[in-house]
Amino acid sequence: MNRPLIKITGVLSLVLAITSCRVDPNSAGYEYMPDMYRSPALEAYVDYGSNKHMDWTLSQKADAGVTMKLSRKPAPGTVPFMETEMKRAEKLTTAGAGFMIYPYTLKNTPEDYERAAIEVKSPLLSNQTNIEKGAALYQKMCAHCHGKEGKGDGAISASGKIVAPDYPGKLKDLSEGKMYHSITYGKGLMGSHASQLTKLERWQVIEYVKCLQKGVSAPTFDKNGMVVLAAATEAPAEETTAKP
Amino acid sequence: MTGFSKRIFRLLAGAVLLVSMSAQQASASIHEGGDAASGEKLFKANCASCHKITEEVLAAPGLKGIDQRWAGKDALLVKWIQGPQAAAATGDPYVKGLVDKYVSQFGWMAAQAVNEAEIKDIMAYVKSGGSQGGAGDAAAANALNEKCPKIEDKIIEEFSDENDSSSLIWMIIVGVILAIIGASAANIAKSLKQAVHERDGLAPVEDKTYWQSAKAWMWKHRGYVGVAGVILVMYLVVIGYGKLNRIGVNQGYMPDQPIWFSHNIHACQNEIDCQYCHSSAAKSKHAGIPSVNVCMNCHKGIKKGTISGEKEIAKIYAAIGFDPATGQYKENYQQQPIQWNKVHNLPDHVNFNHSLHVTGAKLDCKQCHGPVQTYSVGRLAPIEEINAQEDVTGLIKLSKPTLTMGWCIECHNKAQIDLASSDYYVEMHKRFESSAVGKRTLKDIMEDGEVTVKEMGGWECGKCHY
Repeated sequence: MNRPLIKITGVLSLVLAITSCRVDPNSAGYEYMPDMYRSPALEAYVDYGSNKHMDWTLSQKADAGVTMKLSRKPAPGTVPFMETEMKRAEKLTTAGAGFMIYPYTLKNTPEDYERAAIEVKSPLLSNQTNIEKGAALYQKMCAHCHGKEGKGDGAISASGKIVAPDYPGKLKDLSEGKMYHSITYGKGLMGSHASQLTKLERWQVIEYVKCLQKGVSAPTFDKNGMVVLAAATEAPAEETTAKP
Repeated sequence: MTGFSKRIFRLLAGAVLLVSMSAQQASASIHEGGDAASGEKLFKANCASCHKITEEVLAAPGLKGIDQRWAGKDALLVKWIQGPQAAAATGDPYVKGLVDKYVSQFGWMAAQAVNEAEIKDIMAYVKSGGSQGGAGDAAAANALNEKCPKIEDKIIEEFSDENDSSSLIWMIIVGVILAIIGASAANIAKSLKQAVHERDGLAPVEDKTYWQSAKAWMWKHRGYVGVAGVILVMYLVVIGYGKLNRIGVNQGYMPDQPIWFSHNIHACQNEIDCQYCHSSAAKSKHAGIPSVNVCMNCHKGIKKGTISGEKEIAKIYAAIGFDPATGQYKENYQQQPIQWNKVHNLPDHVNFNHSLHVTGAKLDCKQCHGPVQTYSVGRLAPIEEINAQEDVTGLIKLSKPTLTMGWCIECHNKAQIDLASSDYYVEMHKRFESSAVGKRTLKDIMEDGEVTVKEMGGWECGKCHY
């Protein structure tokens, strides 16, 4: 009597223990009062019923009323509303913060790329606020290809998947207008970063890249907060020695 | 200065080489006799941003077969590389064809600062076809895998071609079939017994229902049934307690996604910042799923994945309408949304704002999302994994399950505010100082020398529930 009892206990416990260990990563777990989680109020990115519809085709989703439209480009011609940001940015610019909302008029053509070099100039002061903000943005948005110090040795470039040019070398003489044009529309393999960076942020990144072009990855600032570039002070000195 | 002298040296070396070459061979082509090893370095520094040495069109045509296409036009090729506009001005029909075909798509090639000898080396490298994935590549892959360990990897399962989602249905079908067979067998046995009883003239078989016979069987084996029953009840209690504790707790949720995206490869191996793709985390309530154009910022050039080859990346191209063969977007293409499944679901009636935590509180993404760089597709990090992280400075260790209210307010109780970080606190400080009541409140708050989020109203219902 005893032995079969032990056996049946063992087998049953084992079976139950194994079945109870199963964790399904596709299940979010239990919900108490699901209406709190899946409310009629529309929430971003929530596909009510999630996985159930995953393998459906778009027409099936349309039939079932699942009409979520995700991961699309921002609508063309969208103008941001940024009154507060513009007021804050006034101090950082040379000619007002209007550039933050005015459209960029040059088109994505080779001719306009050349025009950008002459016509497009940075509206920002090369001061500490702009450059430090730009440096932080550069590390987030550019460093994985162009390298942490702009030497074209980011992790992706190092692996050879995409090879980004370096600022102190190949792009040493790239004008700020061309940089802005490239960030806005993309250039070569680089795509447009206009959806990730606002116009102000694009110029702030460029202010920092202008330091990298001189090979300065940690710029210093004078007492007015303006950037001091070693190369900029050297250049006039060379001129004066060359003249006589 | 050194660069200049190096260039002079290279020029001289090239000239010497050229002279010696032409001494041996009357018509030395630029496509012959170069040094492929030095050409590889030059190619990577000058050309690789746009060109590949295969036929693949990157941001410019692939260079394979350039020696045939430019055969007999060595001087023109050099001129083209050193200044494309000048070469186009010569009016050569082949160059004109190139300009017409590619300049409108990709723009002008930048004038390259390479001399004739260097071009010769580059051409030798293009002709050699590069290395064909030798031991060096395998070592590099190993180094990357070591740098980026994985905790949760759904991708491996996906590509093992095993689909067990239907196993439950099969178990039910088999169970039903077995039940039917069992029931019919019992009926047949009963009828046979009845027939035997009738033949032998015995009393007819007692007409017991299934339940009655089951009860009789259970009574006969009451020892076993009792033990099994006790185990079953214990099991239900333990499991039930566990499951009740997990109501509303989504830890470990890692749903299938339409694309088998790997955070491990993107965020760890390629060191892409979280906010490159989730760029709205710093600016808006939602961290945001990147729109497809953000994917294309890299995948315009990277057409083959580390794990899945072309299969998964092709889904991006299908969504946005990109032809990887020509490197061009299709015109008038009906773009398709990629329908990702949301992983981090908060209950309704609670407002969480990413920008407030990312830009305002300057929290590391990993404080709440855990070691995402070790996951493949998005996953709700369990609190144990978040606490175990060593690479996060100032990590606040919490005990409650991730994304529950207990977890939120536990952090609001522990997290300290940097009063100098915002104009708001500077202004509030001024206002407190200006009145007697304010001064008293300020003294209460500052008594222990630290200001937590709770003391700033982080535990008020209306902070999150409105």
